Formats: sequence, C-alpha cells, structure tokens
Amino acid sequence: MAPDRAVAAQARPEQEFFCFRVGDLRFGVPSENVLEVFRAGLLTPLPRTPSFIMGVTGHRGEVLPVVDLLRFLSKGEARIGPRTRLFIGVTGSIVAGVVADTVLGLRRIPVSDILPPPLGGDAAAEHLLGVVQGSTTQDGINLLNFHKLLQTARQRAVAR
Amino acid sequence: MNDESLVEEKVEEVDILFFEIGSGTFGTDASQVLRIDRSLPEDITLPELGRLSRGHRALVFDTPEGEGHLKVDTVRGVRPIPVTQLRRMPPTAGAASYAVGVCLEEARTVLLIDLVETARTQDSQGRH
Repeated sequence: MAPDRAVAAQARPEQEFFCFRVGDLRFGVPSENVLEVFRAGLLTPLPRTPSFIMGVTGHRGEVLPVVDLLRFLSKGEARIGPRTRLFIGVTGSIVAGVVADTVLGLRRIPVSDILPPPLGGDAAAEHLLGVVQGSTTQDGINLLNFHKLLQTARQRAVAR
Repeated sequence: MNDESLVEEKVEEVDILFFEIGSGTFGTDASQVLRIDRSLPEDITLPELGRLSRGHRALVFDTPEGEGHLKVDTVRGVRPIPVTQLRRMPPTAGAASYAVGVCLEEARTVLLIDLVETARTQDSQGRH
C-alpha cells in the first residue's frame, strides 16, 4: 500500500517558501506572502525616502514601492540589471515589490530543518524566522519574517 | 441603429504639465501653473529630484503667501491624461509630501509634483 501523504506530512510538517538570491545571500519568504514575480522594469526614484526604498514601479496598473532588502538589512546594496526580478510581497494591507537577483523557486522545507536565527546576531536577525543550513555557508537560506519586515519598513518610511 | 457598444465611454482627463529637472521628467497639475517665467537665483529648487543643468525657467504658481517659483530646466508641454492613468503615491513609500502620485505611461511612471506643497516644505526658500 502506498504511504498516505497526509499522514507523512503530519509526521514531518513542512512549510513552503519562495526562495531567491540577492547579492551573496539567499532568502526565503513564506509562499503565502508572494503574489507574483516579474522582470524589473524602469524604477522611478522618489525624493526623501529611506535608502532601502529604491523608488516606485508601475505593474498591472498599480504603483508599487520597491524595497532593497540588502539595504534594509544593512547587508550591502542591490543593483537592478537586465536579469533582475521583482516579486510582489504582501502582508495585510501592505504591498511592495522586492528586488531579487535570481529566483531559486518554491521549496518545501521541513519545519524540523529550520534552525532559530543566530543569537547575538546583527539587526537583520530580528527579521528572520530562522535559517536552513546548506552544504556550504553560502547554500544556507535565511527565512524572512516577512510580515515583521514589511511592518518595520512601513514604520521607518512613514515615521520620517 | 442604436448600438450601445458603439457609444464610447468618455474618460475624464486632467491636463498635466510635464517638465524636466536634470535627467528626470516630472508632471504637475497644469491648473496650478499660472505661467512660465525666467528663473531667479532665489527661486525654489528641489535638488532631491535631480541636479538642475541650467534651471533657466521657473514654474509660477499661487500659494497663500503669494506666488511661488520652482526652478526647472525644460518645460515639455501640457497633455491631457486620462484619470485612469493617475495613481496616488502609496503611503508605504514614505516619499516627500510634494510627491503626490504618479502618472502611468507605457513603460515608465512619471512622478507627479504638488507645486504648492513644494513651497510649504521649503518655507525659508524661494520668492513669494
């Protein structure tokens, strides 16, 4: 008899993440927070925004603020090139485009494989759900607490 | 013949005046603009929109304190834009208060500027 998938999933619960690379870092965002991925078009820079807001872009008749995760997490600076993608991230009423250099795809990650964020880590660690270790340090995936990240981004942007 | 499908729905339009500062193109509600004048050194500048290359022109607009003058490089003209192509600035972007929205064009978005608000945000600068 074939194993019952539902039983197997209960025995080893998994969570689905949208995974991508930006700069030298790999990130994962809970898939329910991602609406769509598209090629980055022209960005319109905005005056007096925080540095992690790269500007706005028009997509399907909507205007999206575009977030540079590397700047937000103080890990460098994203660059927009011909192969750069944006994904539309959403949580509650907040919608934003996020820069991704490479899309790694959807991955089902066993919850038991998710390690807690490093203790005593930098400010970026407070926006992580956890980390998944890879065969090398660069293969590891930082799983983002996307709800908290967008909430913080909005607070930082509006409070200025 | 009374074919309702042939009756075109009239889309409301707004006259937008397009102008350039440095390499950037911006738009503003043309009804705010009283006239286009030669600029003077004390006119309002918005360096965060770009570096003026010449800045020989000024958009003149009305404010409660009198006329405001915003230095620009080039005035591209006025075009009627369907309101369906205009969007308010998402509050999450946290942009300057004078950046009120965008005009969606085919491949780009043009930032819309509220001229009166530029004078409010720079009340110590500019001639009135």
